[in-house]
Amino acid sequence: MKLKVAIGALAWALLISVMHVHLNIGWGSFSDRIAVMRGQQRAELMIGFLPVT
Amino acid sequence: MTENSTKGTLFQSIKFTDWPTVKEALISKDVGGVFILAPMAMQLVADGVPIKVVYLGHRDGTAIVVGKESNIHDFGDLAGKTVAIPSRYANQNVLMHRLMREWNMAENSIDLREVPPPEHPTALLAGAIDAYIVGEPFAAKAEVDGFGRVLYQASELWPDFISCVLVVRQDLIDEQPELIQELVTGIAKSGKWLDEDLEHRLDAAEVAGKRYYFQPPELLKHVLSKPPDRVRYTRLTPLKEEFDEIMELAFEIGVLSRRVAFEEYADDSFAGGVEGASWDLKALPRPEGWDKGGVR
Repeated sequence: MKLKVAIGALAWALLISVMHVHLNIGWGSFSDRIAVMRGQQRAELMIGFLPVT
Repeated sequence: MTENSTKGTLFQSIKFTDWPTVKEALISKDVGGVFILAPMAMQLVADGVPIKVVYLGHRDGTAIVVGKESNIHDFGDLAGKTVAIPSRYANQNVLMHRLMREWNMAENSIDLREVPPPEHPTALLAGAIDAYIVGEPFAAKAEVDGFGRVLYQASELWPDFISCVLVVRQDLIDEQPELIQELVTGIAKSGKWLDEDLEHRLDAAEVAGKRYYFQPPELLKHVLSKPPDRVRYTRLTPLKEEFDEIMELAFEIGVLSRRVAFEEYADDSFAGGVEGASWDLKALPRPEGWDKGGVR
């Protein structure tokens, strides 16, 4: 019984986390943050603009 | 421009206040790309600068503005008047010459003066000029502040008008094409998001006004909503026939030092895959502090 409750809680937490990333963060941004945490260098590009549309 | 693309590349925007500095930053490789005037991109290539136009910044979004109480009511009334243009390398300059031809006016019948875009409205208010032609939001500025009147939207004069284009360095195209594709796809997605819903435009006005333009969001809301197609951010693939027309006119009026073939200055391969694509755009990520301002 305890095992079922633990697995259920774990599954629920996992589901909530996945939904949070999907709805609030975005998978691109999430993988970006993971890459930074793992010390991987991100590609960078500087784009110039003049504030005329 | 977002700092967080969907693939994790860090795209950063850098604001310039005049075109010559933009040009220098590109040549010195301080920037990977710039939104630049279409004829200027052609002239840079004519000068040997290795860049390519890969996408458009927007379509339309330019207007000829006169004083609210001015007695100028059509293009013919501008004969003998002083009109500010953003730059001789601007497509607005090309448009003015195109219109002078259509109205059978001599090439020098209007005194065209180069004035930095942010100074156009104040120059009109001060009476230093009789009219100006410029991209938004400076066209709307005089209108919103109550002293200017739009004589023509560019879309009435030259449908699908092109002003700014996105150019990137050739070495980046050769060595990191996936980076350029990511950039173009991101801009295409942003454009689709903007054009599909007025609420998105009003939302974008808040972000861009505070974070990038340092302009009152109300001004940008006016630009992006009155009317909603005042500036359009879709159908941004560079098309040869449109650019050929700009190039030919720019050469004829002496803006370009030589004719430049489309293939020399444009690479439409990155735009090919994004035109007409559909994306789920409901969950665009917003970086922390997106509405707090700050741009390099």
